Amino acid sequence: MKVSVSWLKEYVPVEMDIYRLVDALTMVGLEVDSVVDRYASLDTVLAGRITAVSPHPAADRLKICDVDIGDRSIRVVCGAPNAKEGLISAAALPGTEMPDGTLLEKTVVRGEISEGMLCSQGELALGPDFSGIMELGNAVIPGTPVTRALNLSDNVLDIDLTPNRADCLSFIGIAREVAAIQGSALKYPVIEFPRKPVGDIFSKTSVQIESPDHCPRYAARLVEGVTISASPFWLQDRLRSVGLKPINNIVDVTNFVMMETGQPLHAFDFDQLQENRIIVRTARDREPFTTLDGKEYVLNAGMLMICDGKKPVALAGVMGGLNSQIETATSRVLIESACFSPVSIRKTSKKLGIYTDASHRFERGVDPRGTLTAVNRAAQLMVEVAGGELTAGIIDENPGKCERKRIPLSVDATNRLLGTRLNQGEIKTLLESIEFSASCDGNDGLSVLAPSFRVDVEKAVDLMEEVARLYGYNQIPTTFPHITPGGTLSSPALNFRNIIKRTMRGLGFTEAVNYSFISADASVRLGLPDGDARHQAVKILNPLTDDQAVMRTVLIPGLLLDMDRNLSKQANYLKLFEIGKVFLQKEENRLPEEIEMMAGLWTGDRFDPSWHDKGTPCDFYDLKGVLEGLFNTLKIPNLKFTKLPPDKCSYTRPGHSAAISVNGKEIGLIGEVHPQVLKNFDLKQAAFIFELNLELLLPLAPDAIKAKPLPKYPSVSRDLTLIIDNTLETHAILEKISAIDEKLVESIQLFDIFEGKPVPQGKKSISFRIIYRSETRTLADDEVNGIHKTIADRVIAFSNADLPA
Amino acid sequence: MENVIEQIHEAALEELKAASDIDALTALTVKYMGRKGRITLYLRNISTLPPEIRPRAGQQANRIKEELSRLIEEARTGIERNLAESDVGIDVSAPGRPRNCGSLHPITQVTWEICDIFTRLGFSIAEGPEVEKDYYNFEALNFPKDHPARDMQDTFFVSDDIVLRTHTSPMQARVMEKHEPPLRIIAPGKVYRCDSDITHTPMFHQVEGLLVDENTSFGELKGTLTTFVHQLFDERISLRFRPSFFPFTEPSAEVDILCVMCRGEGCRICSGSGWLEVLGSGMVHPNVLENVGYDTSRFRGFAFGIGVERVAMLKYQIDDIRKYFENDVRFLRQF
Repeated sequence: MKVSVSWLKEYVPVEMDIYRLVDALTMVGLEVDSVVDRYASLDTVLAGRITAVSPHPAADRLKICDVDIGDRSIRVVCGAPNAKEGLISAAALPGTEMPDGTLLEKTVVRGEISEGMLCSQGELALGPDFSGIMELGNAVIPGTPVTRALNLSDNVLDIDLTPNRADCLSFIGIAREVAAIQGSALKYPVIEFPRKPVGDIFSKTSVQIESPDHCPRYAARLVEGVTISASPFWLQDRLRSVGLKPINNIVDVTNFVMMETGQPLHAFDFDQLQENRIIVRTARDREPFTTLDGKEYVLNAGMLMICDGKKPVALAGVMGGLNSQIETATSRVLIESACFSPVSIRKTSKKLGIYTDASHRFERGVDPRGTLTAVNRAAQLMVEVAGGELTAGIIDENPGKCERKRIPLSVDATNRLLGTRLNQGEIKTLLESIEFSASCDGNDGLSVLAPSFRVDVEKAVDLMEEVARLYGYNQIPTTFPHITPGGTLSSPALNFRNIIKRTMRGLGFTEAVNYSFISADASVRLGLPDGDARHQAVKILNPLTDDQAVMRTVLIPGLLLDMDRNLSKQANYLKLFEIGKVFLQKEENRLPEEIEMMAGLWTGDRFDPSWHDKGTPCDFYDLKGVLEGLFNTLKIPNLKFTKLPPDKCSYTRPGHSAAISVNGKEIGLIGEVHPQVLKNFDLKQAAFIFELNLELLLPLAPDAIKAKPLPKYPSVSRDLTLIIDNTLETHAILEKISAIDEKLVESIQLFDIFEGKPVPQGKKSISFRIIYRSETRTLADDEVNGIHKTIADRVIAFSNADLPA
Repeated sequence: MENVIEQIHEAALEELKAASDIDALTALTVKYMGRKGRITLYLRNISTLPPEIRPRAGQQANRIKEELSRLIEEARTGIERNLAESDVGIDVSAPGRPRNCGSLHPITQVTWEICDIFTRLGFSIAEGPEVEKDYYNFEALNFPKDHPARDMQDTFFVSDDIVLRTHTSPMQARVMEKHEPPLRIIAPGKVYRCDSDITHTPMFHQVEGLLVDENTSFGELKGTLTTFVHQLFDERISLRFRPSFFPFTEPSAEVDILCVMCRGEGCRICSGSGWLEVLGSGMVHPNVLENVGYDTSRFRGFAFGIGVERVAMLKYQIDDIRKYFENDVRFLRQF
């Protein structure tokens, strides 16, 4: 809502300076976004003395004027009859944005350079006169900005109104708040008709409301014999000050009254209304309609229409129709001042995508009692600015009969909610300052009637809010809640994720956060097979871009896109991870399943760049080691990596990827990104990824740690080297050894895997170190040797192994 | 015979003086005190001396041996020290083998900070779905269907009844449905609005807060949030509570802090106003409490919502909100 301070002063004396005003309005809940000096665009229009006038060589009606603008002289081509030597006028310099929106430039007029423009009042929108250039008077010093010479100043506030304050979508509404802040009186405009109304409206027209639910009130007046023309300057100037474009005197009056009172009005050309009457009804399905801006719409059943005896003439509360708008020839005007249902207007406006100053106000709720005031005010002004005769009588169809109820307000409850110590009288005064009527009801109570323009006030708590904001939020004492031991809720899942994040940071990984939405083809680019549940994404009906069309079902594409973005910025060594949800649409129109996942990506070198390492590329085992480290920190044992069959995961490279399981339960996967997927994401560098389902992981974490006593006796170790088929996995052998029920084996470590000479082709040599220890004594060599031989023999037997030569 | 040991002694001292490295000292030790060393042999032959001089000769020889041992040891220590001191050593200025930690996203770090402050104040943490029913996102929070208040939050729709949550406030209703008052919770998480420019991203993060108790008040809301802002930013920072409107709170207040950049003078960051909006808050609307079946004659509450990106922007002086989700490591590694 734009508010010109000079217009505002019509309704309330503004005693504060502009800074105080802005702050005070903001602190009663009318947040001022900006303050603009209305005449700032005229700063480059300077007083200029015409020092010489010579004829234009190529045009009889033009003159060439030398103009002294203080620090220099400019040459201007001018066609004004009153341009003469010695005159001090207004010279607009190149760069000036003229009120009609054009940007003034240095030009050539019929072969002569013009370094500016000498302006009339009208051209600068400072007055009605277009007949000649401005005459500022001899006292003005050349070079003075015209705004200063004429003492022009008006600040225009842009107020960001919250949707509950429909009452402030008007100058009177804002003025009421200013009056309350200052403790001054609000001046309502005086409505007096210049001439006595004649005739009888009821004999000429009628209004019939067929949809009272959508239209609780409809008032109308008739003005006959008007002359359509441009509005007088004062009216145009008011509208321009708040950014409205003057159209003609009748339309301008409706806009002016809307700005003044908050009541949107519509003016019909009465002679275009068939049967000279109004019917308010809902549209028929697929009924066509052309609005006054010439656009054609097809309506839905249920949209509220204003119709004449035969056809629709306006989209109620949204926009008038082309068929009944005010034309130059219009002589009889029917003024509509109605109250429409906010929901009805909002639905129509949203459905058709038409947002107007009227619909904005109606969908927030206009004062049902304001219709009569507004229609009278408009009638008064129309007769003033367009002549004609006002027809006597007002049509006021009022099926809604919205009666306001008194709201009981407890002083004690108010103070307890706010934490204040206000007394009955103070609360009464605060409410009365904005036209609420309040009477005392016992010692503790008030009986309050909210004014009809405060459609947002229904309950006691609404009144308490009024009390709070008028008293001043910053006046309310600051106290502190009594803290009782609480914590009935906690989030172990969140804690668990936080531990993982800290650990990953410690392991050198950087946390990424990607949008939860992604392009619909992301699952295709991952090569997921048909029928994969991850194709069932939650689709967004109104995405901003195609890249954000669906909710992600897998985290990996986000990291691959991050990799692409970073590679393009020469960052080709990346260790990234992300924790976030994926969304699986299980059933239409039900909430999707949301699963907390984690994914990681490593690409580029194994080590941070340094002179110690000449760029060893990272591999599968680097990333696997990270996961092993993470699981160690999480104290989750029995982690197992099992080679993934090629058809199990479409986006990892066959033979170089593994399922991750704990206690036999699959919780994720790890592997090198499939070369085809790299191609699909335009990536030219190998990368290794993992993903973990954190919801499956969380229950595996131990609730508590129990410390074990440290061993008292020394351990003994023995090594075992085997030559086995290179297709055999080391883990299988380790498992077999672990399965041997031998109490003295404390642990088994793999310490070498070797292929190549002297190991025969197709074989590999693997070496284990077995640690033996007893809890009760120091082991003797002979005893260990015996056990070790037994173990070695069994392992050799089941793995079909050879011993090294 | 006494001359013999004296001669040996003098010769040894001469040679010791000349010995300049460890090898020479070792040779010297062997030559005089080894198994066939001159002093060793002398001592071994003492028994051949006349009995009356044997004791003195023995003592003298042993004294010389001890002295020589000590001098050799001293010389060895000296040489070793010289050697150690004259070692040019390694280039200690060359960088070590990198052992760098990674980094956590600024949103994570700020969320943690916010949650830590409120958990110290006795709040518990709750989480909930990001794809949400219209009921929880709007209706339970006193946003009727077809109300202009819904325009305050540009909504991504999944269907007529399902939306991407536009705020973390649905957690208010979800928690209250399951738990009896009194309660104090915060709910961090992602939220979505279809809006994208230099100050808006279609996804962002909030931390919701809710306190319901028998005797809480707007004054306590002010106290709690003042403490929060002071702990998060600075004890001395000025803040103000400004009337605003949210359908689910009444009275509603925006909390502004004095601009951290210009200290209230007015600058680009605060659009010249001198104040920065950091969070929205208010007393829980009785309709919201009634919707979950709470006894509004007994219980009141206050709620608040903090924009995490906004706080992180102010804390870290980040100038473009879109940087949060581009995951450029040059950006992320700064935190």
